[in-house]
Amino acid sequence: MGVLEVKQLTKRFKDFEAVKKVSFSVQKGESFGLLGPNGAGKTTTIQMITGLFPPSSGSIEIAGIDMVRQPKRGQGLLGIVPQEIALYQTMSARENLSFWGRMYGLSGDHLQKRINDVLEIIGLADRAKEKVETFSGGMKRRVNIGAAILHNPELLIMDEPTVGIDPQSRSHILETVKKLNGEGMTVIYTSHYMEEVEYLCEKIGIMDQGEFIASGTISQLRETIGDRSRIVMNFSGAVELERIKSILTSEISEKDLLMNHNELAIFHKEPQKILSELIQSVTGAGFEIASVEIVEPNLESVFLHLTGRSLRD
Amino acid sequence: MGFWWLALKDALLMGRDRKALLTLVFMPILLIGILGAAFGNMMGEEEVASIEKFQVGIVNLDEGELGNALAEEVFMKGLPELISAEAMTQKELEDRLKQQKLSVGIILPRDFSDHIIMGGESEVKVISIPSASIQSSIVENVVLQFTQSAAVNVIAMEAAGPSEMIKAIPAMSQFTDADINIVEEAAVERDQKPVGSFQYYAAGMGVMFLLMTVITGVSAMIDEKEQDVYNRLLVTKLTDFHYLIGKFIGLLFMSSIQFLIIIIGTRYLYDVRWGESMTGVILLGFSFVFSVCGLGVLLGTLVKTEKTFNAAGMLATQIMAAVGGSMVPLYIFPDWVNTVVKVLPNALALQTFLELMSGANLWQVLIEAGILVAIGLGSLLIAFVSLSAKRRAYYA
Repeated sequence: MGVLEVKQLTKRFKDFEAVKKVSFSVQKGESFGLLGPNGAGKTTTIQMITGLFPPSSGSIEIAGIDMVRQPKRGQGLLGIVPQEIALYQTMSARENLSFWGRMYGLSGDHLQKRINDVLEIIGLADRAKEKVETFSGGMKRRVNIGAAILHNPELLIMDEPTVGIDPQSRSHILETVKKLNGEGMTVIYTSHYMEEVEYLCEKIGIMDQGEFIASGTISQLRETIGDRSRIVMNFSGAVELERIKSILTSEISEKDLLMNHNELAIFHKEPQKILSELIQSVTGAGFEIASVEIVEPNLESVFLHLTGRSLRD
Repeated sequence: MGFWWLALKDALLMGRDRKALLTLVFMPILLIGILGAAFGNMMGEEEVASIEKFQVGIVNLDEGELGNALAEEVFMKGLPELISAEAMTQKELEDRLKQQKLSVGIILPRDFSDHIIMGGESEVKVISIPSASIQSSIVENVVLQFTQSAAVNVIAMEAAGPSEMIKAIPAMSQFTDADINIVEEAAVERDQKPVGSFQYYAAGMGVMFLLMTVITGVSAMIDEKEQDVYNRLLVTKLTDFHYLIGKFIGLLFMSSIQFLIIIIGTRYLYDVRWGESMTGVILLGFSFVFSVCGLGVLLGTLVKTEKTFNAAGMLATQIMAAVGGSMVPLYIFPDWVNTVVKVLPNALALQTFLELMSGANLWQVLIEAGILVAIGLGSLLIAFVSLSAKRRAYYA
């Protein structure tokens, strides 16, 4: 059964089309990753799904509830972790959880029990009485997540929840989300960190410039690049793609070449076989190589292959 | 009922802001003290304070009932808080005045009653020592009031017919009762003394700081809108209407607490009398708080950035406070200015508080309280319509 059904979702801000006819669905218990560079339209899509504002056209249904017509009904089923820390800084972790729990209609003993459970989940039970403003960025992020899961939502939507935090907190957050999903909570996770999405999500949608450019499981997406690895070659100075093309062997097709700033990417099934010859050709032509790396097939490669740009561009 | 918790959260956050709390609670009390003391002499409190209970010597030579009524019922029994009257001979009166053991004396002539009944003028002598001009005026006024009222009653009885005239003298006892009432009303009038400087600034500063509390609350509301907590609130179960109500109740709660602190603080620290009708004071206070909280929520809905609001909001508060009389006494403005500025809730509230301090009762301030409540309700309604329209526009 689909917890979320998005059909032909479009959002226009005056002349600018931020989201263009996006369609996807998320099944119960699934973890769905929304991957894309900054400005791809992920957050706008998420904001429409959460009912913050409705689409210019298209439809959104959460557990059968039309979010355009009945946003408040649907919002009760959602847990939302916004990109920024949406907490009251001068209130303690417990007070924040208590407040947000009440905003979702929890009260009494049930609320207290859920607060205690959530404090354990986010690993802050021993610091519950401390004000949020005294917490590190990572701890604040954890409370930010805690506030979204108090009411056991049908669908947990996380919009880049690990931006700007230390590796330890990031790891803790990823583990927490993995655990929640493992326990049956449906999750939508947006990020421009492909490794996070790869780790957490079984289904992924890749967005760029307001459109879904690919979607499917990780293995399906890898198929789009023919399961090829990527040779990433960085040059010390500026390089013209046309000059590079002229010196490469016929084994490398033009469509498998991508030049981005000083970085050359070459998609190939057997990169080790061509690597030494490639280096010789390039250096022989007078180019100065700063670094060479072979990257196994991943979502970054898929995105690069589809758009010609890096996810972090 | 998420709005209650939103209100409680807002009150909690404001209550934890020690700097704001200090400014909003202790500053008004402090300023009332400073301004009240500084402008004490400008508001005629000394004259008010100098009218203490004084003695009046009465020489009653009248052979009729009216002399007795004036001497005994009016002066001896009717004004016990202001006058201590004593019957004496003319010689005793003159001696005691010379020795300054008495401030004022009156001599009722032999034909005092006859003159009044016949519709003529009586020659009551009022004698006082030089320093007792005010006391002398009070006594003169009482006598004048009595004689005029008595004359009116006599004319009325004449009109009623000869049989009534026969009863004229016995009827004077009833008339005296009525007259005493008139004199007693005059005694009440005596309480309508000018509002003292502490009273004035208690009301003026109180009204101004209540405005400032609301401005602080609205500033926090706008600040919240600029943060992600606002969007997070909007995607919970909280509706737009509940959001506004929550904000309104939070502001109302904090302002009401502040209002009560100002009332109690000024009462016990500076002995400020807010008026005979404490119900009227409380009703007016809450009505004023209601109106400015409604306006505050409206502003919080309309204004987008805190920076814009802080600059404009504080300036507007200062201007409202200045023209509303919180800083400069209203007495120095022409009457028409005081009437025009009543369109501002703070000016309306201040002027009505002053009326209460001057002796107005609950019923006399109901209209003003109603207007203030209406301003608050109207503002809330506009805020709701505006927020809904904004959301619809954002959707478009």
